[in-house]
Amino acid sequence: MSKAGWTRIAAFGFALSLILAWQVLADLRLISPIFFPSPARAAAVLVARFADGSIWTPLVATGLRMLFGWLLASLIGILIGAAIGSSRITRLLLEPTLEFLRPLPASAMIPVAVLFLGLSNAMSLSVIAFGAIWPVLLASVHGFSTVQPELRQVSDVLGFGRGAFLRKIALPSALPDIMAGLRVSLAISLILAVVTEMQASLPGLGWEIFYAQRVYRSPDLYAGLILLGVMGYCANHLLMRFESRMLRWRKTKL
Amino acid sequence: MGRLAIGSILPILFLLVWEAANRTGVLTLESLSRPSDILVAGVAGLRDGSILLATVQTFETALLGLAIAAIAGILVGAILGLSPVLERITGPTIESLRPIPAVAFMPLVLMMFGFGISMEATIVAYACVWPILIVTISAVQAIEPRLLEVADVLEMPVTDRLRKIVFPSAFARINVGLRVATGIALVVAVTVEIVLNPRGLGYSLVLAQQSLNVGAMYAQLLWLCVVGYVLNAIIRNAGPGAPVTFWRPVQ
Amino acid sequence: MQVSNEAVAPRRDPGASVPAVSMRALSLSFGALPPARRTILDSITLDVREGEFLCIVGPSGSGKTTLLRLLAGLVQASAGEIRFRGQPISGPSRERAIVFQDYSKALLPWRTVRANVALSLEARKVPASEQGPVIDALLAKMGLANAAHQFPGQLSGGMQQRVQIARCLAQHPNILLMDEPFGALDAMTRQGLQDEILLLAGEQAMTVVFITHDLEEAIYLGDRVVVLGGVPAQIVKTVDIDLPRPRDQLTTREDPRFLAHRHRLFGLLRGH
Repeated sequence: MSKAGWTRIAAFGFALSLILAWQVLADLRLISPIFFPSPARAAAVLVARFADGSIWTPLVATGLRMLFGWLLASLIGILIGAAIGSSRITRLLLEPTLEFLRPLPASAMIPVAVLFLGLSNAMSLSVIAFGAIWPVLLASVHGFSTVQPELRQVSDVLGFGRGAFLRKIALPSALPDIMAGLRVSLAISLILAVVTEMQASLPGLGWEIFYAQRVYRSPDLYAGLILLGVMGYCANHLLMRFESRMLRWRKTKL
Repeated sequence: MGRLAIGSILPILFLLVWEAANRTGVLTLESLSRPSDILVAGVAGLRDGSILLATVQTFETALLGLAIAAIAGILVGAILGLSPVLERITGPTIESLRPIPAVAFMPLVLMMFGFGISMEATIVAYACVWPILIVTISAVQAIEPRLLEVADVLEMPVTDRLRKIVFPSAFARINVGLRVATGIALVVAVTVEIVLNPRGLGYSLVLAQQSLNVGAMYAQLLWLCVVGYVLNAIIRNAGPGAPVTFWRPVQ
Repeated sequence: MQVSNEAVAPRRDPGASVPAVSMRALSLSFGALPPARRTILDSITLDVREGEFLCIVGPSGSGKTTLLRLLAGLVQASAGEIRFRGQPISGPSRERAIVFQDYSKALLPWRTVRANVALSLEARKVPASEQGPVIDALLAKMGLANAAHQFPGQLSGGMQQRVQIARCLAQHPNILLMDEPFGALDAMTRQGLQDEILLLAGEQAMTVVFITHDLEEAIYLGDRVVVLGGVPAQIVKTVDIDLPRPRDQLTTREDPRFLAHRHRLFGLLRGH
């Protein structure tokens, strides 16, 4: 077996031994079962909920929330980013305002959103979009404003108008930056989905965790946490696969 | 300065239009108060010290969580950075824990610690430890191998090795990670306060909203922007060249 | 400095009465007032004949690239006038293709070789259905047929420069402007491309303005060589190259006339 193979087994073994140690400590009641239920019980809850199908509603709810908020934020972020990044005047006018708004925690918009939209899905989506837009926006601005000047000149010589330049040259050129921003935005979308669910008691994994705590059902709580971790990991992984397909041309074979 | 002037054109215009629209009755929403009302509420909040108190509360909690994360993250990161084997073994475990949003742990930590500083600081620490850990690992891995070989030849004990070679060399990069983590700390602290914890800026924001004190709510939002902006400015300028470091790495 | 009007064995029929490019007292300066005012080009007067292969040579930083960019319309002159086929040059145009020195920055890295060439056809609004054969022919001519579906990042420097030339040719330009196009390539690749470009220019009776700091390259390629020098840059000398065509890397470079030109011009370049 190659060295890489052994390391992978060792890594797996490490994670496994942590879980086993936890299980042993829980069985021996050395740690409080309320705060640290045994992994076996958390797993059992997961299996049961998958078996009776009750897991899907919250899972899908959180997933869709995260996805729609992220898509909305990405679309707006790229459009505004393109406008700002490709025009010096727009940059000068808007950039200071954006720099001022950016440090605002997205969750701080929750009270405002509640005022306008109540404890609803719309509130959740708007908060997610507000928070998730920043990485994409900033990445787009950077990407669109760092197009190689030679390409701009080629576009001028070939006689492309501004629209064609943005479509054929600026956008593909900015894509690596945009993709990096999209990944961060996705992570933020998940976080804000969970936060808004907890705040507004909207159905979803966040709310499941919240509720499990209130009725002191910690295996359910941990099951929810595990699912969130899996969801976050899968979403990121899928996006990375998509990114490497879109950016195939970056591999230099020289 | 000129940049600031041009950049303020649109916001000032926006505020003027908003104020005018409100006063002339064109646009009156209960959920949206006038800029002048917001200003009044803001000044009042600053005057009676409530905003400042809340700010201090948020900051001290964020700082506590950040400190915990920094100590844990840098120590573990240094060890993992020095040992590729350990890093590969713990890698998947770290990658599995990282995607779980720190805020998802709020109910659990609430169960353990109840309301208060500890609970909030724990969440902040969990959120901040990952970027610090990862940056530290890569910073340590980027240390000039010759220096480490020198340490081997001199048969330095681990503590000396860390103190005299690892940390000074890796400092600049770790610093960047710390700056990122500071931003995260503030955001997470405010988030915990908004959802659960009855102290700090987040909580006073929610209070204002729930008591329909709309002017105060917007005033505090603006204050948050200012605080965050100032914090970022400080972070940006307090690099490795700041007074904190009084030596230069061997480069 | 004067334009050389000697018509010594011109390569092409001087059929066109209007020169391809005519420059009169062309100057370019930056900055508002002295001492901030920097003059790059000072009173350049030069004609480029139709179908001519004109080489402009000069030391690095002598303003050659700036002159080319003026020809391309990418930059405006501060004084004097510049015309293309009698019309003043007011901006960039598809008619005047420019091959940049840094090919990696002038190609679209996310498009294949085919798609990069297609860019020019898109600009000419050639319908997609008709683009295929045109691109195929061009790629074949430039020796790129096998690399058609590769990305620029996977190609060598010489191949990338070929792609750029192919893209420029796909514009159907009336003049080809080349900015030290082979400067970043190794000697062998450079020589191969020199001959290729001579072949192309010959076939199409293309007007070419070729910038280089390599004197031998200029003499080898050109019908005329213009030496640029001084700060601010002026035309130091213009020489008609009376070497026979087709040129050959071995025999032409050993021709006594070649060496004579080299001797005469070498000192001029050193002197400035």
